[in-house]
Amino acid sequence: MRKLLLTLGFCLTAIFVFAQDADGIVGVWEPGHGKARVKIDNIDGKYYGRIVWLKEPNDPETGEAKTDVNNPDKSMANVPLRGYRILKDFEYKGNGEWAEGTIYDPETGNTYSSVITWKDENTLDIRGYVGVKTFGRSDTWRRLKVR
Amino acid sequence: MKKSTWILLPLLFVFPLFSIAQDEDDEDWSMYDDLELVDEGDIKRYAKPTIVGLSPTRFLSVSFDMQTPYTMNLSAARFPVSQGTGWGVDEAAPISESGRVNFTGGMRFNSNIPIISKSNLVWQSGLNYMRVGYNITDIEADGNASGLTSILNENGLNNLNWTNTFFVPISEENFFIFQGSLDMSGDFGFSLQPFNTIRWSLAAVYAKRVSERKRWGLGLARTYRVGNLNYVPVVMYDVTSADRKWGTEILFPARAHGRYNFSKDALLLFGYELEGQSYRINDFSAGNNSYEIRRGELRPRIELQRKISGPFWAHFQAGYRMDWTFNADELSGSREFFRGFFGTQDYGMVNNLTNTVYFNIGISFVTL
Repeated sequence: MRKLLLTLGFCLTAIFVFAQDADGIVGVWEPGHGKARVKIDNIDGKYYGRIVWLKEPNDPETGEAKTDVNNPDKSMANVPLRGYRILKDFEYKGNGEWAEGTIYDPETGNTYSSVITWKDENTLDIRGYVGVKTFGRSDTWRRLKVR
Repeated sequence: MKKSTWILLPLLFVFPLFSIAQDEDDEDWSMYDDLELVDEGDIKRYAKPTIVGLSPTRFLSVSFDMQTPYTMNLSAARFPVSQGTGWGVDEAAPISESGRVNFTGGMRFNSNIPIISKSNLVWQSGLNYMRVGYNITDIEADGNASGLTSILNENGLNNLNWTNTFFVPISEENFFIFQGSLDMSGDFGFSLQPFNTIRWSLAAVYAKRVSERKRWGLGLARTYRVGNLNYVPVVMYDVTSADRKWGTEILFPARAHGRYNFSKDALLLFGYELEGQSYRINDFSAGNNSYEIRRGELRPRIELQRKISGPFWAHFQAGYRMDWTFNADELSGSREFFRGFFGTQDYGMVNNLTNTVYFNIGISFVTL
C-alpha cells in the first residue's frame, strides 16, 4: 500500500511539474521586430497565441483598424488583426519544446509549421519552417510584464 | 444518472468556450499598452531579409534548359602564353570552323539551404550543378580548325558551384549581404579537373529595407557573369506596389526583372539575366596552363512561376539567348587575369554564336 501511494505521489508530482513546465509559455510576449505583442494561452491542453497589441494598430492609408488583408482566404480580409490568433495548436513535448503548431505571418499571409523552444523563463525561440525544420527561420520572443 | 445531470453536463463543455469568446469580444486592449520587457537587457532589433510580394525563395530546384538551333563560328585556336601567339582584342579573326548547333542545354540542380537562420544572421549554403551539352552537325573546318566542335559534342560543358550567402542586419533598416562562390567549370567528367582552375566570385552589398514593400542596396562584385573575370558595381532595387500586384526584382547588372503577381500562387517575371562561366578545355590546356572558354550570355526573358502544391512550385521560362562572348583565353599557370572592358591581353580564340530562342522549365521546393 505504501509503495502504491509513493508511486501515485510520484506520478502526480511528475504531472504537476510537467504541467507547470508546459504552462511556462503562458503570458504576453514580444516578437523580435517589436511591432506586436502576443498573448499565449493554454486552451484545453494546447497552446494558442493571439495578437493583443500593435505598434501601428491602424492602417496609415485608411485610418481604419488593421485587418487580415493579406490572408489568401479572402473571407478573412475584414477580420481585425488585434485579437487574431497567429499561433495555433502547440503541444508541449517536454524538455522545453512546444511543437506541432503553426505560426501565421500577417505581413505576407503565409502560415508555417512551427516549433517553440524555451531558452529561459523570459525568452522563447520560435522557428517557422516549410516541411522540415532545416528550411525555416527563427525569431527570439521576449516576455513582457505590467509596468 | 439524474435527468438534471444530463441537462447540465453539456453546459460544462459549452460554458468555457462561451467564456473564451466573451473574453475576446470584450477584451480591454488598453491593458496591453502598459507592458515592458521583463528582461530589459540590450535589445537590438533587426531588418528582415525580404520584403512582401517577392517571388518565392528556392531551397531546392531542378530544371532543364534548352536552346533552339543556331550557328557556331570558331576561329583557329592560338596560345598566347605557351606559344606567344594570340588574337588581338580588335583583330578580326577568320572563321576556321563552323557548325549547326541543334541542341544546347541540359539539367540544372540548385540548392540553397539555410545553415543559420535567425533574426540577427542568415547564412545559406548551396551546391549547384549546371550541364551544357551540345549536339553539333554540318561541321565545316579548314586546316587551322581546333576541333572544339567535336570536343563540345563529345564532352559538353559542366559547372559545379558552391555558393554561400550571408545576410547580416545591423539595425532595423540596414543590412549587408555577402555572397561568395567557388566554381569548377570545364569539359570534365567524373575525374573533375585540377583544383587550381577553381574560380571564385564575391559580392558585397550594403542595403536598406525602407519598408515592408521596398529595399535597395549598393555594392561591388567580382564576377564571371559575362565569362571573363570582371569587377562591377551592384545595384539592388526591390519594390512591391501597395496592392502587391506589381513590383521589381533587380540585382543589376546580374539580373533585372519586373514582376506581376496574379495571385499568391502565380506570378510573372519579365526582364533579363546575365549568365556565364569560364570553362577549362582539357585538350587545349598545355602543362599547368588552363585554356578556358569564356561563355557569357545575355538572356532577355519572361518567366511564369506557379504553385503546384504546398511548397512545390513550377516555373517556365522563355527568352532569347544573346551571345555576349564565347571567346577563349590561355591562363598562365591557370592563374586568372583581369581584362575588364578595356584590357588588351590577346585572346586564344575569337568565336561567335548566332542568337537564338531558349526555354527553361523546372520544379522547386520554396518558401514565400
